[in-house]
Amino acid sequence: MRLSALLSLAARPKLPKGYRHGTWRPGTAAERLRNPPGLRRKKIFVEPISREDWKVFRGDTVQVLTGKDAGKQGMVTQVVRARNWVVVEGLNTHYRYINRNAKYSSTYIASEAPLLLNQISLVDPEDRKPTEVDWRYTEEGERVRVSLRTGRIIPLPLRQRRDGIVPEQWIDGPKDTSVDDALDKTYTPSLKTFEEEIMDAMGIVETRRAKKSYWY
Amino acid sequence: TTLPRKGLEEFFDDPKNWGEKTVKSGDAWNIKQLRAKSSQDLHKLWYVLLKEKNMLLTLEQESKRQQKPMPSPERLEKVEKSMKNIDLVVREREIALRLLQTGHEKPVPGEWRNDFLGRTYWYSYKEWPIPWYLNKKYKKRKFYYLPHVNRFIRLRLEKYLRLRNRRQSLKKKKQKLLEKKFPHLAVKSQSQ
Repeated sequence: MRLSALLSLAARPKLPKGYRHGTWRPGTAAERLRNPPGLRRKKIFVEPISREDWKVFRGDTVQVLTGKDAGKQGMVTQVVRARNWVVVEGLNTHYRYINRNAKYSSTYIASEAPLLLNQISLVDPEDRKPTEVDWRYTEEGERVRVSLRTGRIIPLPLRQRRDGIVPEQWIDGPKDTSVDDALDKTYTPSLKTFEEEIMDAMGIVETRRAKKSYWY
Repeated sequence: TTLPRKGLEEFFDDPKNWGEKTVKSGDAWNIKQLRAKSSQDLHKLWYVLLKEKNMLLTLEQESKRQQKPMPSPERLEKVEKSMKNIDLVVREREIALRLLQTGHEKPVPGEWRNDFLGRTYWYSYKEWPIPWYLNKKYKKRKFYYLPHVNRFIRLRLEKYLRLRNRRQSLKKKKQKLLEKKFPHLAVKSQSQ
């Protein structure tokens, strides 16, 4: 367990020191255009919220409290935790031209501006009114979001996969292993190393003796 | 087992997928799923994944040569991720067995040694065919430092302490600035 956890921590790509997060994902062409390496911008102060305290997720319904679309509810399409940002679908929009080239005069589209967490409030599922939310534990021990006004549990939104696959509608291809084969438990713990077990299974007998070597 | 006629067709995908723009592929193998598999299964799976990787790499190279986009390059990432996960699972089992039998975590023994500059570092042993007193290259290496280095050790220590204090005071300054901008943070720290 420890080894895999250690290596997964080390594998995250490192962003430069004064990096300013935008609405683009680091690694895309748009982000590389706006944040080239060596760019230094003024520091933006962001209220530090720990990973455990974070309450808003993509797919949640939220109500906008301030701004042009105050009082309207919408679904969250993007969350940028580094700047405490939430992008709500269709709300807080401004208009811009897109996709201009030599032959085509651009398209006029509405693009959403991100909202800070204090301009947003999570919505009670039955009331559909904004509430304060806290993390609590159920009797089973599950960590859930509870609205403080009514006491109802706000369920977490369904997490869609990044590649767009819906596990319920998946049909296995010729090279995919079936679910039963993949979950089949064949491991019996034994005091033999991996190499020894393979040698036993394949009937390899090592008769050579290693020459004396020195370790220092 | 298949009976390959020369075997080169395994470097290429199923002929039905030739010329397709996207090829459907399932998820990579999870570490949890792999931990439940026996060593033989992992061994066989490794070679299946290796062959698939070779096929995908030939496909990638050929698409580069033809200057066309490679159909579904995420398959390569999934295969590499699965192979890395298998490696991790095997290493975990090896470490567990070694801990039980010997009490050591690392596969290679070692010890803390000083180098000629006075620094202490973890020296891991290497395998040699001759003992150390016959090894000219090893005898030339100095694992000790002479007394004149003590001054530089002290200077290095001072530098390290100075940097550490700078980092700590920077952290405190940043925290103070944050508390000025967001007053509720100061209240929280006081109540705690």
